[in-house]
Amino acid sequence: MPEIIVKPSNLKELWKMLPGLPARRRYLAGGTDLVTAGVAGVEHSECWIDIGDLPELGSIKEAAGSLFIGSGVKISEIESSKAAARWCPALVAAIPHFASPSLRNMATLGGNAANASPCADGACSLVAEGASVLLALKGKKRRLPLVDFFLGPKLTALKKDELILGFEIRKRRHAGAYLKLGPRAYFGISKAAVAVTAELSGGAVKRVRVALGSVAPVPLYAARTSAFLADKKLSAETIAEASALVRTEASPITDTRSEAAYRLDMCGVLLERALKSLA
Amino acid sequence: MKNSLLAADKGFFGISAAVNGEKKELSVRNAESLLDALRRHGWKGAKKGCDTGDCGSCAVLLNGKPVLGCLVPAVAAHGGEITTIEGLGSVHNPHPLQQAFVEAGAVQCGFCIPGMILSSKYLLDRIPDPTEAEIRKALDGNLCRCTGYVKQVEAVKNAAKRLKSRG
Repeated sequence: MPEIIVKPSNLKELWKMLPGLPARRRYLAGGTDLVTAGVAGVEHSECWIDIGDLPELGSIKEAAGSLFIGSGVKISEIESSKAAARWCPALVAAIPHFASPSLRNMATLGGNAANASPCADGACSLVAEGASVLLALKGKKRRLPLVDFFLGPKLTALKKDELILGFEIRKRRHAGAYLKLGPRAYFGISKAAVAVTAELSGGAVKRVRVALGSVAPVPLYAARTSAFLADKKLSAETIAEASALVRTEASPITDTRSEAAYRLDMCGVLLERALKSLA
Repeated sequence: MKNSLLAADKGFFGISAAVNGEKKELSVRNAESLLDALRRHGWKGAKKGCDTGDCGSCAVLLNGKPVLGCLVPAVAAHGGEITTIEGLGSVHNPHPLQQAFVEAGAVQCGFCIPGMILSSKYLLDRIPDPTEAEIRKALDGNLCRCTGYVKQVEAVKNAAKRLKSRG
């Protein structure tokens, strides 16, 4: 556990404070991953920077063309946001599957992404939403498609001291679904998860984005399956073909939670169910 | 206005927080959890079960919402309002939820009950007349190893009725 915890009250104060802090430092958001790692003895920072009070990260804002969800917004706040329900239905569908109610009052979307777990419910559904991530390091800001942010298990494109400001989702009317297979209905870590967003027009889907959780080193955008489904009617044949195709995109491993072959099959089953729920 | 905290004397920080409605200045160790800090300062109602955020025994209300005390660094509660089970009622003047848990026989060893009751309080604050599904969802993160949940769900239903009739 760290020797020092600092708690800046705004971004300006944070950037000013950084040079004086110990070299091994990390941002602390909701703490649900970082504190657990500290207790388990696998988190060795000398300093945690508690970003829980930064007002710049704490709100959901609707602009003309996009919805911004601050990285410090608690998962439970997204659950009750009308703007989120309208513009990112797959993300909102993932929330009941996200840990437990009290953990959702603590955990943040930024922390869920920064932790870069392949099974992160928030990250997986945001990939299906086609979100961008906004990053800042002192005065410098940059924007990345979220799919380019995840580099591997617990690895991200974040540079030292770079901070996630939030996520941007383009405002386009679409349907969304999130299906998760875990050891029980709620409060479990997934064996496999599928997030889907689709712009529907008449009986056909225009644009589709399929993302997979727990079956690759990162929350995976299933590019080929998504491309295959574009501008198609969601007939039984199309759904069956997509469900076979998605199995070729995942690369699961066998670990304590499940077996690779089972996970692969479940990607197909969950996608089939998700598409049927939209059709 | 909150101040940014820097490493304080000999590994201790001074934080201020309202605990059960009373303003307190607490000295906390730098990496101490809110749960450990509360217990060290005498609020023993929140229980230390798993210490990994799984069991819910350490739930307290932070700014009105249940959080797991074992995963909240105490310094993160600086400037906040904390409610522990001691802040809800007493032996002689129990909160309707506490009374309902006793009457329904929802308490066996009692270890999970403070967390259960605080999660239930947050539910009833938002939804005064919850369905059984809503009660079960609200108690999703509070594990009980004695009773099997039936009596606890019943207790929350009874407490909701009682609170409603009190207006």
